[in-house]
Amino acid sequence: MSCLTCGAPLDVQNMVSDSGWREAPRLRDMTEFRFANSTVQVEGELVPVAEIALAQGDAVYFEHHVLLWKDEFTPVTAMPTQGGARRIFGGMPFVLTMAYGPGRVAFSRDSPGELVVLPLHPGMELDLREHAFLLASHTVGYSFVRIQGLANVLHGGNGMYLDRFVTAGAPGLLVLHGYGNVLERWLRPGEKIMVEPGGFLYKDASVTMQAVQMPVKTGLLRRGMYLAEMTGPGRVGIQSMYVHHHAE
Amino acid sequence: MTIPEGHVVCHYCRMTHPAGGASCPTCGAALDVRTAVSRSGWVEQPPIKDMARLQFGQSRVQIEGTYVPVADFALAEPDWIFFAHHSLLWTEPDVRLSNTSLAGGWNRMMSGLPLIMVEARGPGRIALSGDRPGEVVALPLMPGQQIWTREHRFLTATGNVGYTWQQTGIWYTTGSGDDKETHYPLGQFGDLFHAQQTPGLLLLHAPGNTFLRDLAPGETVLVQPGAVLYRDVSVTAHLHLEYPQGAPSISWRRAFSQRTIWLRLVGPGRVAVSSVFGHTSSLRVNQHSPATSHQW
Repeated sequence: MSCLTCGAPLDVQNMVSDSGWREAPRLRDMTEFRFANSTVQVEGELVPVAEIALAQGDAVYFEHHVLLWKDEFTPVTAMPTQGGARRIFGGMPFVLTMAYGPGRVAFSRDSPGELVVLPLHPGMELDLREHAFLLASHTVGYSFVRIQGLANVLHGGNGMYLDRFVTAGAPGLLVLHGYGNVLERWLRPGEKIMVEPGGFLYKDASVTMQAVQMPVKTGLLRRGMYLAEMTGPGRVGIQSMYVHHHAE
Repeated sequence: MTIPEGHVVCHYCRMTHPAGGASCPTCGAALDVRTAVSRSGWVEQPPIKDMARLQFGQSRVQIEGTYVPVADFALAEPDWIFFAHHSLLWTEPDVRLSNTSLAGGWNRMMSGLPLIMVEARGPGRIALSGDRPGEVVALPLMPGQQIWTREHRFLTATGNVGYTWQQTGIWYTTGSGDDKETHYPLGQFGDLFHAQQTPGLLLLHAPGNTFLRDLAPGETVLVQPGAVLYRDVSVTAHLHLEYPQGAPSISWRRAFSQRTIWLRLVGPGRVAVSSVFGHTSSLRVNQHSPATSHQW
């Protein structure tokens, strides 16, 4: 009834809008799926929880404040990231936390929305907006990319960095939290779509992104509105609710 | 406990009622759905079905909506409820509203808790809302039964439910000098409700989804302090500081500390958590209430 690697229900139709946006599959309550030798169970539908039974040899990493509960004897270690000081200025965590199996640990992004499970095949690169990442398996490489252009920082409203997840020789699992509902669209090579920066959620690394000022005013003295111009080829994911949130 | 023939015990509120209904008559939990239990033993509290009715005394409450649910009371003449004034959504003019003050007013005001409760007496209709996405959790209380709930989760209770509050005793400090700050990750106060001579009904508003677990005697679980919704008074709680292996001990941000602040719950008893919990400070902990710790 549901996909073994991403938990998507298989007995429902693809929900695609006339403009080509596909709704992310709403994971059923208590859906289970696997990665490596471990099992993930998704609980709740309002503010969903991802509970993982980590097997020996498996591990996941995450921002420490998404932990909801864990078994007392599940080991955790710090996972430093590069560019620490710059990341702090960008409001992003500079140390991630890694939990190892065997043991159980559960995560929640603390806000209404839905979980999106993205199994990554070897050789994939995916960019994710800051603070949308819930967890990734240890086989997924983590780095970040700085969005070029100060206009993005000041006007795009999308921060300075995107999280970049890369798989090399082995497949991996990435789970993210979208605020509200999540929609996805495939862009053909050269095809463009303008997205409100706060609604941007993820994109394939092959999709380019830049802030573009629109010819409209948003106030008496304000100069204009900026949108993120996404250019294909590749996937773009958006969320229907934009929440300002800050890492501590 | 002996269960009369033809009766069942609700998984969620633990009250006995006749078998065969679609929902529990005392807490509204849907009974015609499969119990959702995670592999680790957390039972997901099913949301009260839209328009479900709960009976108490000669009155009833209907739960309306599933995203930000409303508790719509039809109060009979002898019944009354109490609640914080900011929960009131609408009321009929016939409902008699009055104030009741609470002991320890200064401390309650300082910690952001309501100083004065509102009493609503029947007959008439009145509706309350927790004002954010979540679930209404109904906790029927039998005479003599007591339950601890996290502050700011209380929606309303029937007039025969006694209400007191107590310091949680769970705290830690960060900073020093003028920057010193005391944090109460579980809240400064916890609410205690107890049914007196007759059964009572307590309604909580839980942000997000709600999960229950029964801890065996001595069994422990680490949870985010802000996630705790309610617990039996037999469950004890204290801080647990966990330091991951390899965490940087020196940082250019001197006050930063890579650690997780947990609440360590020790059974026996029932504990409920919600999937919305807020964040704890990431500054270095200087002093704290009695706590266990672990360095990986």
